[in-house]
Amino acid sequence: MTEVRDNLLYTESHEWVLKKDGVVRIGITDYAQEHLTDVVYVELPNVGDKFSKGDEIATVESVKSVSEIYAPVSGEVVEVNGKLDDEPELINNSPYDDGWLAEIRMDDESELEKLLTPSDYEKKLD
Amino acid sequence: MKSPLHEVHEKLGATFTTFSGYEMPLKYTSIQDEHINVRRKVGIFDVSHMGNIFVRGKDAEKFISKVTATDASSVAVGMGAYTVILREDGTIIDDEVFLHLEDEYMFIPNAGRNKDIEAWFREHAENMDVEIKDVSNKFVIIAVQGPLSEECLKSVVDFDLGTLKLFACKELKKGDEKVIVSRTGYTGEKGYEFYITPTDEGKKMFYDILEAGKEYGIKPIGLGARDTLRLEKCFALAGNEFSGGRTPLEAGLGWLINWDHEFIGKEALLKQKETEYEKLSFLECIERGIPRHGHAVEKDGKKVGMVTSGTFSPCLKKGIAMAYIKPGYEGEKEFDIVSGNKKIKAKRVKPPFVKKGEC
Repeated sequence: MTEVRDNLLYTESHEWVLKKDGVVRIGITDYAQEHLTDVVYVELPNVGDKFSKGDEIATVESVKSVSEIYAPVSGEVVEVNGKLDDEPELINNSPYDDGWLAEIRMDDESELEKLLTPSDYEKKLD
Repeated sequence: MKSPLHEVHEKLGATFTTFSGYEMPLKYTSIQDEHINVRRKVGIFDVSHMGNIFVRGKDAEKFISKVTATDASSVAVGMGAYTVILREDGTIIDDEVFLHLEDEYMFIPNAGRNKDIEAWFREHAENMDVEIKDVSNKFVIIAVQGPLSEECLKSVVDFDLGTLKLFACKELKKGDEKVIVSRTGYTGEKGYEFYITPTDEGKKMFYDILEAGKEYGIKPIGLGARDTLRLEKCFALAGNEFSGGRTPLEAGLGWLINWDHEFIGKEALLKQKETEYEKLSFLECIERGIPRHGHAVEKDGKKVGMVTSGTFSPCLKKGIAMAYIKPGYEGEKEFDIVSGNKKIKAKRVKPPFVKKGEC
């Protein structure tokens, strides 16, 4: 079954956002990895890159297809998950933990209010 | 539409995809794991989305020789053939396997094509004693593929499958309850396909094979791996490789044409043989990247072809593609596969990408 975690916020395009102090960690949801199928290549942004909400921030390529990942919030990339270069399958095996993509220092924390709550996201999946 | 085995797939935890109007399992676990399991052990596939059309009557052999590129008199009872059904202009309507059963022939058209094929057949059966019947929705089709397929079926099938040569078939049950087996498949591995009616019997057989195959490491396999398995062996997929109207000569299927008989499309093919035409070519990436359907093939910045199928090869761990390339580039070894501003270098290889036992 597709997992939706209670402690995260979500986007319509199946990214998740975890709020930490001043920064957010982002990734793709369990539903997204299920439908992408086996991830084989991941292109991550560079630390220091700046994005506006909705910009393409990463590319995840699976056996079946290629997907652009969109920045769920605006801000500057402060860290990326370098492990994904050698172990892209972490996105499939652990989408909410070891398979995270990047951390962003937010420009405007109020953007979080526009994201989907776990129950909103779950409804969208039905 | 759903397969008669839909519930079975749900219980097995499948992720679904829509293919030619059918909601079918895309995968149960991971495409690559399922793929490797078929190459090294054995896998079971529900391919009930494929059709079943029976052709019988005094003129059946004559009729099949007319509507396919195969001389049906060369296909004995208990044998089958891979063939193409062509339009007058030589382009492929569908590629399919047909089996010569004791009293009739069974065609297995591609998913969603059964109605069109049935109509085409009827249209070309004038003045012939043939009966054409599409019974696609009454059959379950199960493929069991992989080096251990024969062993894992031993306790399920009361017949020595080892006696079946490639493309041979056998009716295990006749009458209202039918079970037909053929030594065919779409993976390039040793394997068998079962055609079963009524569908409840097919469901039972799916479970029986899954159970009997446990000790051989059998896994259910989705359409994701079915696609990567066929691509590694350079098998065409009708919706990709034949779309836009391709002839068997262009698609690299010239070998299956029997030229010594008259068939629809023959004239056009004979003419094409005298010309230069685009040919399906096989490209292996020498750089990181995955070619996809619709990507351009370039040589020195000039577009010379288009990718019809591409994927990441789970055995080779690199991108592979099938592409039509313009005439005049036969001698060229290296190409760029281009999508937007991304370029992947690829080299032309001889089919198949993955040789027997190599994985």
